[in-house]
Amino acid sequence: MKPLTLFVLLIFLGATTWVLTWSPLTVRKFQETYYRAIGPFLKSGSNIEKFSREFVREVEHSENLQRKLEAIQADYGELKIIEGRFRELERENLQLNQALGFQKGTTFDVKAAKVIKRQPSTWWDTLTINRGEKDDLGTQLTVLAEGGLVGRVDQAFEDAANVLLLTDESCQVSVYIEGSPEKGILSGDPGDYGTTPLLRLRYLSRNAALQQGMKVFTTGLGGIFPPDIQVGTIAETIPGSYESEALVKPSVDLQNLAVVFVLAGDQTAVEEKEAEE
Amino acid sequence: MIRYLLAIFVILLASFVLRQFVPVFPEFYHARFFLVLLIFICAAVTLDAIGMLLLSFVCGLLWDAQHTILPVVGDPEIYTDTAATLKFGYSIFLFAIAGFVMQGVRPLFKEGKWQASFLVTGVAVFLYLVIELMLLSFVRGRVVLTGDTLRFIFFSSVLTMLFSPFVFLLLFKLAKTFRYEIRIKGLRHRGHH
Repeated sequence: MKPLTLFVLLIFLGATTWVLTWSPLTVRKFQETYYRAIGPFLKSGSNIEKFSREFVREVEHSENLQRKLEAIQADYGELKIIEGRFRELERENLQLNQALGFQKGTTFDVKAAKVIKRQPSTWWDTLTINRGEKDDLGTQLTVLAEGGLVGRVDQAFEDAANVLLLTDESCQVSVYIEGSPEKGILSGDPGDYGTTPLLRLRYLSRNAALQQGMKVFTTGLGGIFPPDIQVGTIAETIPGSYESEALVKPSVDLQNLAVVFVLAGDQTAVEEKEAEE
Repeated sequence: MIRYLLAIFVILLASFVLRQFVPVFPEFYHARFFLVLLIFICAAVTLDAIGMLLLSFVCGLLWDAQHTILPVVGDPEIYTDTAATLKFGYSIFLFAIAGFVMQGVRPLFKEGKWQASFLVTGVAVFLYLVIELMLLSFVRGRVVLTGDTLRFIFFSSVLTMLFSPFVFLLLFKLAKTFRYEIRIKGLRHRGHH
């Protein structure tokens, strides 16, 4: 090996080791800079892609009808989520009024966002939406769609945000099963390339009496997701020696998402935290 | 060489944007065309070790900037077993490994036998993905290699490899434009004069 090549190899190793020691904050800053730089290109590319897709659709539907349909779909989904939350609050209020004579004021806000890109990563199940910090979106916010939970915001940039989907192994959700005392942790199953990926529900009791079709909801424990959001339904139970597992079918068609809703400004958790303090 | 290297940098940067719009193929186990990796691998065989290392550092850094997911800090009493993820910067090593694989066939490539490089391109993509998956399995403490995953890697490698002649063609054009000698044939010819 030539001395110059050896010298460059040593510098390469040193520089790479230095990068490996970067803190999460430094990594986030670097990622923000990177996405800020390529953001305009992504936006232009996305617009071109969107334009060509809409051009093809134009053959079947007029552009106006398409726009109206999209707007109605977005409104309908948003209203469904709002309705679901109101029912939850109604139930919560009723319980609290009965038990403590205590009424709780809760404010929340959902923001509709369009899916720009699906699965830009190799091993991580993510998608990109067209809203970001400009719309007051930050990391860790809950993302919903018609039917239930989609995932959480992993990175928020100026005009876009990356959403980590439920089907990814890194996205863990504390859940309970309706009509059962069972609670567990739900996450994606790696290496599942089926058309309807199933989620793996772990840490159930050994003799968990679960039936196919039972609904799975978030517990709200752990501080990542708010409670009582539907996640899916039990598809199969896998008994184990010490604990059981179950496969859960997501309640949202994660393969064909066009519009999602970011749960922003959920004051319930903040108020609960303040009350605890 | 510097102008040729800079041109490759520009193409790579464009490919980082373009790759966002490359669709996956659900019929083939969600196989995907690894555009950035392909351009890097093809460029690696045309450059010396120094140029290749420089490219792998930049590619790895930008690749991880696009993909790294940072762990979520939930209540440790509830989320006792958080899924570990790879450290930011690991891709630099993976790109370098793929680059060194291509450097192995560089003598053949310099003789004009690019067909061997075409096949090794597929091998390098396959190796890259397998090593990445193994690293992920290692940090997560369990092997995540399934039949479907292997098929995904295989089809992605083949799909990416099939496009390599076009990238080689582009690189030959670039080399010609910037008067960079890729083949030893050209050097010999010049040496006789």
